[in-house]
Amino acid sequence: MPYRLPHRFRPLAVLLATAFLACTPSRKNLGSTYRGVLISNIKNFDPALVQDQYSSMCQFQVYETLLEYKYLARPYDVQPCLASAAPAISDSGKVFVIRIKKGVEFADDACFPGGKGREVKAADFVYSIKRMCDVRTQTTGWWIFDGKVVGLDAFRKATESLPPLPEQYHPALYDGEVEGLRALDDTTVRLELTKPYPYFKYILAMPYAAVVPHEAVEYYREDFMNHPVGTGPFLLKEWRRGLRLVFERNPKYHHGFYPTEGMPEDSAEGLLADAGKPLPFLDRVELDIFEELQPMWLNFLRGNLDNSIIPKDNYAEAVTPDKSVRGDLAAKGIKLFRQKDLDLVYMCFNFEDPVLGKHKRLRQAMSLAFDADQAVELFYNGRGVRAHSPIPPGLFGYDPAYKNPHARYDPEAAKALLVQEGFPGGKGLPEFEYLTVAASNYRQMGEHFAQCMARIGVKIKVSTCTWPEYLSRLKQKKVQIIAGAWGADYPDPENFLQLLYGPNESPGENNANYKNAEYDSLYREMAIMQDGPERKAKIRRMQDILAEDCPMIPEIHRLRELLIYDWVGDHRGHAVLDAPIKYYRIDAALRRSRLEGRGK
Amino acid sequence: MINFILRRLLYTIPIMLGISLIVFVLFHVAGGNPVYRMLGKNASPAEILRLTHQLGLDRPLWVQYLHYLADLLRFDFGRSWETRQRISEMIATGLFPSLCLAVPSFILTTLLAVAVAMVSALFKGKAVDKLLVVGSVLGMSISILALIIGAQYLLAYRMNLFPISGFEIGWRGLPYLALPVLLWIANQVGGDVRYYRSVLLEEIGREYVVTARAKGLSRGRAMRTHVLRNAMIPIVTRLVMEVPLLFTGSLLLENFFGIPGLGNMSINALNASDFPVIEAVTLFGSILYILANLVGDVLYAVFDPRVKLS
Repeated sequence: MPYRLPHRFRPLAVLLATAFLACTPSRKNLGSTYRGVLISNIKNFDPALVQDQYSSMCQFQVYETLLEYKYLARPYDVQPCLASAAPAISDSGKVFVIRIKKGVEFADDACFPGGKGREVKAADFVYSIKRMCDVRTQTTGWWIFDGKVVGLDAFRKATESLPPLPEQYHPALYDGEVEGLRALDDTTVRLELTKPYPYFKYILAMPYAAVVPHEAVEYYREDFMNHPVGTGPFLLKEWRRGLRLVFERNPKYHHGFYPTEGMPEDSAEGLLADAGKPLPFLDRVELDIFEELQPMWLNFLRGNLDNSIIPKDNYAEAVTPDKSVRGDLAAKGIKLFRQKDLDLVYMCFNFEDPVLGKHKRLRQAMSLAFDADQAVELFYNGRGVRAHSPIPPGLFGYDPAYKNPHARYDPEAAKALLVQEGFPGGKGLPEFEYLTVAASNYRQMGEHFAQCMARIGVKIKVSTCTWPEYLSRLKQKKVQIIAGAWGADYPDPENFLQLLYGPNESPGENNANYKNAEYDSLYREMAIMQDGPERKAKIRRMQDILAEDCPMIPEIHRLRELLIYDWVGDHRGHAVLDAPIKYYRIDAALRRSRLEGRGK
Repeated sequence: MINFILRRLLYTIPIMLGISLIVFVLFHVAGGNPVYRMLGKNASPAEILRLTHQLGLDRPLWVQYLHYLADLLRFDFGRSWETRQRISEMIATGLFPSLCLAVPSFILTTLLAVAVAMVSALFKGKAVDKLLVVGSVLGMSISILALIIGAQYLLAYRMNLFPISGFEIGWRGLPYLALPVLLWIANQVGGDVRYYRSVLLEEIGREYVVTARAKGLSRGRAMRTHVLRNAMIPIVTRLVMEVPLLFTGSLLLENFFGIPGLGNMSINALNASDFPVIEAVTLFGSILYILANLVGDVLYAVFDPRVKLS
């Protein structure tokens, strides 16, 4: 006989069941909401402090810069954002005069009188850059202006003697003139550079150069980093740390339009159908944070997220060996999206090490002994192309025909080089330390490197440590071999070639502490040259020097893969812009029909 | 009792000093210089020196320790290296979601474990007892990680019985908490049952229980009125020692189910080597542990009149 609940408990059971059902989350009418993913917590919303991809992605929903990257056109270039037209550049590329759009207002916020955002003026750009360069903000981005704008270094120096923030801002210093950074009137900014840096236009599109209202900085003081007040397409509505960020359309945003130019394939894919229409198309953006990949993956498959990266462990269930999306996922409307990242994964040798720094053929041999193709398969599911120099595909100076003679797997040639250098079979060599951060995948990469080196008799000890300890040792030059990765800050080869520029030695980004007079001289010349045959020739010579000296083993340039539902329209990858969400469009009816019956 | 509590609180001062010293030395020696990560890439040597000085990291270690102690007295744990948030604010924000998960889980686990242990003890050696013991051992043997991964996939994704992850405040949050609470119970109850069962069996074997039974009390009544009361001291000890863990959160459950509590915060801090946060959570946990000890001692006297607090 079936068990029956005693009468006295029945009302309670009914009550509990009703309560649970009433509380069960239903799929609300999502409308034009984009639901994206962050696989790391974001740090904060202060443009002066942004230094990671995810924080930058969130800041760009709220803040804007004078220039911005073109969404569809390639090669990567910039266009006016808050500027009303492209900068007027004179004096051989050293003077930028930029007129700003009239009528653009900061979002309404309590920091303004009456809570009403005011119009953006040229002085706001001057203030924002000065604030970013103020020593006391502890900015991570001073390097973008360091030595580049006339008078700005002196301004920064002067801020060193001011009392710590947020006590006083010293308007006298902020209102004082910096020769190379001036507001000529309410709508004109003039920047004067020390040298004609061709990539300076990209710097004006970086999040560090975003315009912030001084009222918000003064009103929120230390808490400014949690209260973004910008001119961007969205407003931050909710920020539950570790869980979710919600943005809603900024009702005062009227100055952005969908691009009218793109590549031929963009037209074919329908990406230009919205050309010239006012942005954004979305009413709301929800970015869920997932530190663990399983819940992200399951939520994506369920349709609770509009896109997802592909976790390494789920790769085979999502992608076929011929690199297309599997049939069951395609039937759900999931598309595989692939693009080349502007990045470099590499290993480098510390030139201050008495053995590694002195023996060129030893470094060449180690480069030849490293099986990068196997590493790409083992650690990146084949998502990468072999690197031959620091410059990734898609940048000026990248030549697919260029082959670094030491960036190939040839253990026999490596052994021969060791013999020539006096270390046959690795005899006479000490054990080298490969230092990496304590994480299973980094350790595995180290073990793979050690195993490759063992084939030619070079002994490697893989050591791991915490990230702060790793940085401390790296910046104090207390390492022998390390692995690193570099993503483009801006699409110019200078950003990659500076990784081995002598004066950038540790604590700078030249972690190999490599110094070569010819390379350094060529770097200085190419850094202020416009793209052209002469610049290309200099870059080629620099690549040859690196191939010969072998301060680094260029490993791979990664490919980014993303799964995305077909109800997300106008989606195009961009290697510099982390999330051009303002261009996305949601087909709400298609999403509703696809999700029907798929559960919560 | 007041004197006892005051004296115990005084004893905690040297203990706290010792803990703070160990934590400080551990994290300041292993932690490396935070300035490198705070300034990001391309920081110049001059910038590094300047910020190192500004943060007082170029002072002798003992001076830094004194400053650290002074900050602790003001409940100022400093700022996160990662987000630059005040850590005291981070703890305050994370406490509520952690308790939302931990308190119901703890209460339900305890009630269930005591009830099951009583049944098991009552039927010692019988099939029911054997079944419950085997079940408890099984529950103890499965790692929480395997439970989470399996249940999230099977119960939440495949069977669609629960939301996959998420957190909401108020009644709307109930469905999100249901699965993590069940998993907490599944993971904890086995160990608790085995412990409570052995405590109860020890009491059942005592003379006063035989006397009570001889006077005509049923097994169940003897269990409820005599055995359970006398077994309270070891039970309370275990419960009180578990209370600090409720505040510091469940690392894996919070992380997998997207509950923005202290456990989630701690695991993020561990992943990012955000030492000031780890340091603060360690200290916070230690303080709670010491307080829990004190509460436990006071409760002994409540449950057992033979215990005198002096």
